[in-house]
Amino acid sequence: MAAIRQSGRNSRLNKKMAIWALFTLMVIIAVVMLYPFWYIIDNAFRSAGQFDRQAGHSLIGWKELFANLPVAAQLLNSTLVCAASIAIILIVSTTAGFAFAKLRYRGSGMVFLLVVSALMVPLQSIIFPEIVNLGNVHLTSSYAGAVLVYAALGTPFATFLMATYYRGISDELIEAAVIDGLGYERTFLQIAIPLSLPAIATVTVLQFIQIWDDLLVALFFLPTNQRTITAGLATLATGRTTSIPPLMAGSLISAIPAIVVYLIFQRHLVKGLTLGMGK
Amino acid sequence: MAQIELESVTKEFPDGTTAVSSLDLAVGDGELLVLVGPSGCGKTTALRMVAGLEDVTSGTISIDGRPVNDVEPRHRDIAMVFQSYALYPHLSVYDNMAFSLKYRRAAKAEIRQRVAEAARILELEPYLQRKPRQLSGGQRQRVAMGRAIVRQPRAFLMDEPLSNLDAKLRVQMRAEIAQLQRSLGTTTIYVTHDQTEAMTLGTRVAVISGGVLQQVAAPQELYRRPANLFVAGFIGSPPMNLIDARLERGGAAGDDAGPVVVFGPHRLAIPPEVVAAHPAFERYLGEAIVLGIRPEHLHDAAIAGGPVIKLPVRLREELGSEVQVHGAIGTAAHVSADAADDLRSLATIVARMDPRTKIAEGETAEIAVDTAELQFFDPASGDSILA
Ligand SMILES: Nc1ncnc2c1ncn2[C@@H]1O[C@H](COP(=O)(O)OP(=O)(O)O)[C@@H](O)[C@H]1O
Ligand SMILES: [Mg+2]
Repeated sequence: MAAIRQSGRNSRLNKKMAIWALFTLMVIIAVVMLYPFWYIIDNAFRSAGQFDRQAGHSLIGWKELFANLPVAAQLLNSTLVCAASIAIILIVSTTAGFAFAKLRYRGSGMVFLLVVSALMVPLQSIIFPEIVNLGNVHLTSSYAGAVLVYAALGTPFATFLMATYYRGISDELIEAAVIDGLGYERTFLQIAIPLSLPAIATVTVLQFIQIWDDLLVALFFLPTNQRTITAGLATLATGRTTSIPPLMAGSLISAIPAIVVYLIFQRHLVKGLTLGMGK
Repeated sequence: MAQIELESVTKEFPDGTTAVSSLDLAVGDGELLVLVGPSGCGKTTALRMVAGLEDVTSGTISIDGRPVNDVEPRHRDIAMVFQSYALYPHLSVYDNMAFSLKYRRAAKAEIRQRVAEAARILELEPYLQRKPRQLSGGQRQRVAMGRAIVRQPRAFLMDEPLSNLDAKLRVQMRAEIAQLQRSLGTTTIYVTHDQTEAMTLGTRVAVISGGVLQQVAAPQELYRRPANLFVAGFIGSPPMNLIDARLERGGAAGDDAGPVVVFGPHRLAIPPEVVAAHPAFERYLGEAIVLGIRPEHLHDAAIAGGPVIKLPVRLREELGSEVQVHGAIGTAAHVSADAADDLRSLATIVARMDPRTKIAEGETAEIAVDTAELQFFDPASGDSILA
């Protein structure tokens, strides 16, 4: 009896220690992840001299940033490019994913394999042919070229993710809606889309971060007067001497939308909407 | 309301599986027809073809005399209750039930009134604002039913709607479904693998096996006059005793002695009125047949009269309202060709006896047989000789 109580106390003690160990580990990880962020905030509010000395704060870095970059216009460019690309990716991936998962037609498996294999093509290997091709059809002088490239790059993975998610929705649920009188189009809109909000949120967040932070496509496919903020910040760092504080200030501004988007969608990311569907 | 007719309907899947072959079935207006058979026999496939979820390989499905083979599910005006219920998880109970009406452009007031009516009948009123995941299994089942009845469709198709409920709830819901169907008078095809459910629910029961229709009849008819060995063995619990036997001309007495059925050391005379009603007996004299005896037609000879056979008792099981006695028959029990070999040695038959019986394990019991109720089957075709 006493032995049992003893071992009970021991296991409770072990559990407590495990929780503390885990907590300590999480704190360390958090510090490692957040330190650069702190570094950016700290140094955004300095002048070049203050940065060198690592002492004192001022708004000189911010003034320099706004003097050298059309920050507002570039933020708008980023927003437009992101929104348009993600819209295309979502429209294509939800419809295609639903078709791959729920409609039976000849060659569906083969086409799906083709789409998935597109995941394995690295951008770097096709970027120059793309520039030439899009240049030939005069699409590199506006947002359109970059938007198309982003959409093309993001769609295969998004389609794969959506198809996987739709496969998890029971066929009977779709059929129930079809029998209830909806037809496949409205079943898609009324049942599949609401049920796949977690997957849609995941695609949106992943693609937003990817496209917002992208430099390669933005530099090659966008005209100078329509640069995104990420591409704009890169030009700040191309002089013979680079002033760090305005770069930090710009990075800070550019990081905020990503954080906002994440906060908006994060509650959908983990929510299991499919609970209670069947038995 | 509607009549549903299947004419030699066959379904072959692309992988070569023939799930349903040449099925003929007619469901009358307002009738509750039960489709029963073991798992994998093609019940769901048949139902899905009627719903329009599965194409028909050959044959014709008609609703009210109109072929619907090429009519889309939504234009067939049929409601289906799925085995998994398939409730819309993101919608409340109210919206689940109102869903189809909304897309059929019913007036708002009408929708509200019909959902309220269904919720009242199914006792779902307190749960209308809940999501399906916040309901118990039985409540979800009711919502699935409610979703079907608010539509006031021409027919209900139900695919094992009770198989996910526990035994007690199943019995209760079974009675409720029967009552509901009768009061609504909606033509219904009800699929189940449970023969008890089939017997208690159906006005008529269709038994299928391996995609082939075996018999369609009222429950009593199925039980008393099974058309073949499959139906005989499938309907009834414990199942009918099936024994390999021979038909012989009775005794040395004279030409007019009636036929007797012989199995192992046992001989039972067949009542003259049974023989008279079924001239087919003549053809089987001297031939092997399969003898069928329902457990309740074997009695303790000390309690009931009738021709007697003597069997060593292997097991006595007390069930309260009855006693089940397992007796060795000293010959092979009939088993279908695909049954395992170890079943062949289990040459016992089961009797359901009056609980007052004193028959004990180990003794040789005198068992009286209701010979008027015996069943006889052709061992080659499996068909009943009494048909
Ligand atoms: N989509 C399908 N493709 C191939 N075979 C199928 C398909 N659906 C069902 N089957 C087969 O058809 C037979 C009948 O299935 P089903 O109608 O579901 O039986 P039940 O509902 O009576 O249990 C089974 O052998 C099953 O494996
Ligand atoms: Mg089934």
